[in-house]
Amino acid sequence: MTPKNYLYEMIRSELTWAVGDEHVQTNEADKLGHSIDYYWVPECWHDRGKKPTPPDFVVHPANAQEVAEVLKIANTHNIPVIPWGGGSGSQGGALPIYGGIVLDMKRMNKVLEIDPVSMTVTVEVGINTQHLEWQVEKAGYSTMHLPASIACATLGGFIAHRGTGVLSTKYGKIEDMIMSLEVVTPTGEIINTLPVPRHASGPALTELYLGSEGTLGVVTKATMKIHPIPESRKFHAFLFKTMHDAMTAGSKIMTSRLRPCVIRLYDETETAKLVKRVLGIDRKGAYLVFGFDGPEKIVDLELEEACKICRQQDHEDLGTEAGQTWWDHRYKFFYPPFMFHLPQAFGTLDTVATFSNIEKVYWAMKNVVEKNFPEATFIGHFSHWYDWGCMLYARFIIDEPPKDANEAVALYNRIWDMAIRAAIKEGGVINEHHGVGLKLGRIMRDLYGPAFKVLEAVKKTLDPNNIMNPGKMGFPGKGV
Amino acid sequence: MRIDKHLDVINACRFCFMCRHLDPVANVTFREADTPRGRALIADRIRMDRTELQNPDFVETFYRSALSAANRFHCVSHYDETGLALAARRDIAEAGFAPERVKALAKALEKATFAVKGRGKQLYFGNHPELYPGSAVITGGDPGKALEVLGFAAASKKVLARFKKAVAATKCKTLIVAEPSSYDFLRDQLTGIEVIHGSEFLLASPVKAGRSRKAVYLESDFLKNYDGNPAAPRELLKKAGYTLMPFGTNDEESYAVGEGAVVYDALNPELCKKLCERVCSLADGAGKVLFVTASQTVKDALTKYNPLFDVVTLEEAVAAILS
Repeated sequence: MTPKNYLYEMIRSELTWAVGDEHVQTNEADKLGHSIDYYWVPECWHDRGKKPTPPDFVVHPANAQEVAEVLKIANTHNIPVIPWGGGSGSQGGALPIYGGIVLDMKRMNKVLEIDPVSMTVTVEVGINTQHLEWQVEKAGYSTMHLPASIACATLGGFIAHRGTGVLSTKYGKIEDMIMSLEVVTPTGEIINTLPVPRHASGPALTELYLGSEGTLGVVTKATMKIHPIPESRKFHAFLFKTMHDAMTAGSKIMTSRLRPCVIRLYDETETAKLVKRVLGIDRKGAYLVFGFDGPEKIVDLELEEACKICRQQDHEDLGTEAGQTWWDHRYKFFYPPFMFHLPQAFGTLDTVATFSNIEKVYWAMKNVVEKNFPEATFIGHFSHWYDWGCMLYARFIIDEPPKDANEAVALYNRIWDMAIRAAIKEGGVINEHHGVGLKLGRIMRDLYGPAFKVLEAVKKTLDPNNIMNPGKMGFPGKGV
Repeated sequence: MRIDKHLDVINACRFCFMCRHLDPVANVTFREADTPRGRALIADRIRMDRTELQNPDFVETFYRSALSAANRFHCVSHYDETGLALAARRDIAEAGFAPERVKALAKALEKATFAVKGRGKQLYFGNHPELYPGSAVITGGDPGKALEVLGFAAASKKVLARFKKAVAATKCKTLIVAEPSSYDFLRDQLTGIEVIHGSEFLLASPVKAGRSRKAVYLESDFLKNYDGNPAAPRELLKKAGYTLMPFGTNDEESYAVGEGAVVYDALNPELCKKLCERVCSLADGAGKVLFVTASQTVKDALTKYNPLFDVVTLEEAVAAILS
């Protein structure tokens, strides 16, 4: 659709009537910003001088009613609507691959209520999560949702793809933090899910929208848990001779039912490359750091118990300082120049599995990448730990991918295809907290098997015209 | 083009989201183009295709930036995205593609002249000479910073030359500057004379504490984010008897309503109004607490758009104690 087409002007007029002229952008600067998110493929496309597909309209609604109006307009004209939060998703989930309307939610950024009795906050989900955390902290609490992307993303973005924060091991992922949601359905009805997440009143409707990536509607408001600021938070770090020793220690901490707020384990390669570069800890081996928070007496006790477990393995005790250093610099890994960047090709092979399978998944992916793509470096760390297993944040990096954009993307996709299928074969689930988006849509049928038909049926029922974020999560596109 | 010299910034910022929460303009327009990433992407597109330098949408984006440098201050590597935006403005202006309102503003600024009154050990450039007894006083318009920030470097140099000539005639060894933008500019541009900020001079002067009063000090973009965050303004206020109160939810955001862009209200009044409204929305109660800013332009904007706000400049806050 181009401004030369009079239908374009007809639709623009309807949109401006719905949200106001100031809140419908059609200029090239805004379109450029919305044509690229944090997914490597559009970044590569831009880097090689090509122009990723822009939206036709960028719309900033002020409330759920305006969202509903926009969706009704989109249904009338059968044009795609792509919700956009911070645009920092790594899976291409917010890309307007067929043009259409990008529904930029950032104008909906108000904290509506902090309930100190139930310890919840109700908030419009377009809020930047750092802004949310700052406001909650000012009231004396914390969301405890502290991801590296806290300053980049909106709460809605985390809800859309089941995001997580660095303290997930104790406080949970976003799906554990959310109490209830307000959602605008694809056909423009405003609904609310039940106010509490634990009930026996049928299936969990809130869960349906957590991780739905804007394909089933637009989340506009959320009530989430908040927490008291802990009296104490302490860290400790160990270096293990092998990743297996470190994994044994980490899994024992979890299966002994200690309650760390965070555990992170870096494999030998990432310890040598990134831990050294970012934290200045220059050692050979696998770096494991963990922390506990809460009342100081309990923290000290649990920390000591965790240290005892680690000392049972072949270890070097790096002490509390090396742990605190990691905490103090935990986001530094993601700033330039420490983060990987174009022209490098890089991807995060985020996988989650049980403790029984997680090392097998790691080796399967590492072997397949290193054997088939000798130009790639494989590194990994294990960053979100549960009672039953953990998440592998594996990455591949190619310093000099092909100069041709199509060739580079084809190589990139081949690595993903092989590595992911190797992981699935060993019991891994792709993925834990980055979402599916455009990047992994083609894997969904393999991952779910016949169960994917259930998801497809839900999508068809809720979104009969397939206007909501088409072509994502393995759902049908709009045709190219 | 000058943006080519900032290739490291373009490469670092074009796909990076880590400081987007601190862009004051993006926080009121919610537009991706108004973030450091958005501007770096545009600069990169221009770098690849020079004809895009005249794209009016791209041009406008660079002139919308408040140039607060809060993002650069926050970045662990301090990539100079502000420098990139300034380079882009210069490329645009020198190619003749600046918007008409920018050209008109530049033309008005070019007319600045300077005059010196009195004699003294030091020379004072600001609005409150009564605070600096024994000083000669130089008056006039912006000494060239505003033109530089708009991208009109040659015109900026001409104005600066006039300022320098007036300063040289005084034979003073110290220049005391009140407005942070001018201070930032002149400390870089003048040689053979020590340039200090008014707060430094006053802090060393015998200021006695007055009746205790609560105040919010709105940090200056220039002093905090450009000039090493000197303690003098805060120390001066404390010495004068003010109890400084926290403001907003954090100490990283810029609440200087476009100070970094020097002539922001003249350039983008609708955006300046939004920046002021945001500051107002963060205040727990306008009129209940005194707001202090180092910048006259910040005070002017805040009082223009938030008439209920009790805002004074740093010098006025000190003058109130002395009187």
